[in-house]
Amino acid sequence: MKKGVMRPGHVQIRVLDMDEALKHYVELLGLIEVDRDDQGRVYLKGWTEVDKFSVVLREADEAGMDFMGFKCLDESVLDNLHEGLKAFGCAVDEIPEGELKDCGRRLRFTAPSGHDFELYATKQQTGKWGVGNHNPEAWPRGLQGIKATRFDHCLLYGTDLDKTLDLFRDVLGFDLAEQVVTPDGKRVAQFLTASMKAHDVAFIDHPEPGKFHHASFFLETWEDVLRAADLISMTDTSIDIGPTRHGLTHGKTIYFFDPSGNRTEVFCGGDYHYPDHEPVTWDADKLGKAIFYHDRQLNERFLTALT
Amino acid sequence: MNNNNQAHPDTEVPTVHHIAVNDQPQGFPASSDLSVLVAMERAGQQLISVGCRGGGCGKCRIRIVQGEYFSKRMSRAWISPQQEDEGTVLACRVFARSDLVIEPDPPEIGTHCQPQDQPDCD
Repeated sequence: MKKGVMRPGHVQIRVLDMDEALKHYVELLGLIEVDRDDQGRVYLKGWTEVDKFSVVLREADEAGMDFMGFKCLDESVLDNLHEGLKAFGCAVDEIPEGELKDCGRRLRFTAPSGHDFELYATKQQTGKWGVGNHNPEAWPRGLQGIKATRFDHCLLYGTDLDKTLDLFRDVLGFDLAEQVVTPDGKRVAQFLTASMKAHDVAFIDHPEPGKFHHASFFLETWEDVLRAADLISMTDTSIDIGPTRHGLTHGKTIYFFDPSGNRTEVFCGGDYHYPDHEPVTWDADKLGKAIFYHDRQLNERFLTALT
Repeated sequence: MNNNNQAHPDTEVPTVHHIAVNDQPQGFPASSDLSVLVAMERAGQQLISVGCRGGGCGKCRIRIVQGEYFSKRMSRAWISPQQEDEGTVLACRVFARSDLVIEPDPPEIGTHCQPQDQPDCD
């Protein structure tokens, strides 16, 4: 049942070198730099996003994800979810308004998977980049590279998938849209949605908590994914796999790495989910096909190159 | 694949060094403007595991037994300051400045899923 969580709102990613990272996220991926803060963090967004920012880069000596934030309907939802998180047993940090520029207060907690998540309800709305909301044109000129339209989801590797599902489903109101299950009934992958999208966040079972697999950005068409692949080659960017299709969610995809080793995905298409849909289930012995629908083989790097 | 790794401080004309791998008969040439890992890939060899090529995932960890090199920032998740001092590095973030002798030192990365053709998960 929906609890007022709307959508993935932001992700803060650690990079080893900010200048190199900006070449990746701005010049190649096509996000737009919208601000910087006195901690040296750089704020970015995809051109279709109405909120001020969705990706925050922080220079650090270790790659990976600091946290992922979900935007909620309003401040009263935050108060309700705060109670729910406490009742579930999560320690919740209240981060004051303005710690991220032009973002309201945030509730930060650690999921059983070992990842930090945040809920917030208020962020400055600067509108889509380059187009208004009154008789708008189809798209703005002046976009760079892959022209990523928006931040879509993260895939995270971590521990205790069952308890993580309990938290996201029962406390935060996500649905289980898709899963991978072993013959003895253990869930080793879970794709969760708070919307109609096939996933807003996904988890894969992993012995080490809190690992980051990728942040994903949405493109409109398969032609856009192919063009992304061309740009990845033109720039000699480190590629992981693709262009290909996933079995899980059936999205069409390509994976590549930022210059600090954090994986980026751009994709198009994919299934949809309504609250009355049963979860889609893949058997673990079909994991190769579930992840790479055409190759039907997992590559070892996809499972173990994590930050 | 360079991930902008060519943007390093050495502005001289690139020179080619030989990378020898301990206990392996074959080595490979490495131009000083390419990371040791990318040089290995361009030589068509698989002596070191290839991951992200960006200093983040740790899969290409090696020890440099002998030789001079320049290194860029590597994730502290895989290389401690002490290891860095002792020549343990990520091959995707080091550039040869002389012939090198290296040995692979890949970290143990556990997984609950197996990358075989029809994988089983525990």
